Amino acid sequence: MVPTYPVLEQSYQDGLLVTTLELFNKRKDVEYYEIAVFDNEFKPIPFVSSYSLFKLEYLGRVKFDVYIRAKDKDRAVYVCSRSKIRDQDKTLTSITSMICSKFKRE
Amino acid sequence: MLKYLLITGMSLCAFSAYAENVPITGSVQSRCVITTDTPGVYGNPNSYTLTTTAADGGVQPIVRFDVTLADAYYAQITTPTSFDTSPSLSETVTWSGSTSVSAVSDSTNMGSYETNKITFGQTTQYDLTATGSTWFTSTSSAVNGGSKAFPGGTYTASVTALCVAQ
Repeated sequence: MVPTYPVLEQSYQDGLLVTTLELFNKRKDVEYYEIAVFDNEFKPIPFVSSYSLFKLEYLGRVKFDVYIRAKDKDRAVYVCSRSKIRDQDKTLTSITSMICSKFKRE
Repeated sequence: MLKYLLITGMSLCAFSAYAENVPITGSVQSRCVITTDTPGVYGNPNSYTLTTTAADGGVQPIVRFDVTLADAYYAQITTPTSFDTSPSLSETVTWSGSTSVSAVSDSTNMGSYETNKITFGQTTQYDLTATGSTWFTSTSSAVNGGSKAFPGGTYTASVTALCVAQ
């Protein structure tokens, strides 16, 4: 997921900040990725995006916006993508990958 | 008529000149990419143990991290502490696991990864100080309480590989 250090900017709506991210799938064994926003202890922070779960073909990429409330700006530290494996595709030990970008502080 | 042809000709020339100068731009952004090198498999050395150890018929999972910006990420790999899916279990399962660096693309700058790792519980953390690829191998074992046999059924568990921007 890029950029490594996304910048939160004022969105078209008062009280909402936005950043744009790009997700890239380099895993042949994964088709779905979930995104989430966390504080510095990896506790979830409310956010809005077009989808929270993206279907992404192998080597496919998608650009998306993430909106958070302006009042959460100082708490929001990480935005992460997490691989999701369908139950029927699970092997005896599968690998869950999670990649986190860190919001850039001014 | 001549004026019309002249204007048309000039337009085509202008268009051709524009087409030849279409710029191509691109950018490369730093990133961390995680890929599965080898999915793991649990072997069954006895009725109450599941293990990825090769000597017991298992396969150790290997995960690869590709990083294109030095000192920007750390890797955290956590071996399973519960089954994702399993039959109903009446005994407590004891989990153990570990992770180590099995290969690096730049032995000069990544050679210290293994000695500098931090382990807490079943999580191992590495500071990815150099650009390139690193392969991490994990082992995982699950032992059913009281040496009772695992019930028949399908068991799945996950190794979690985390790449976090510093």
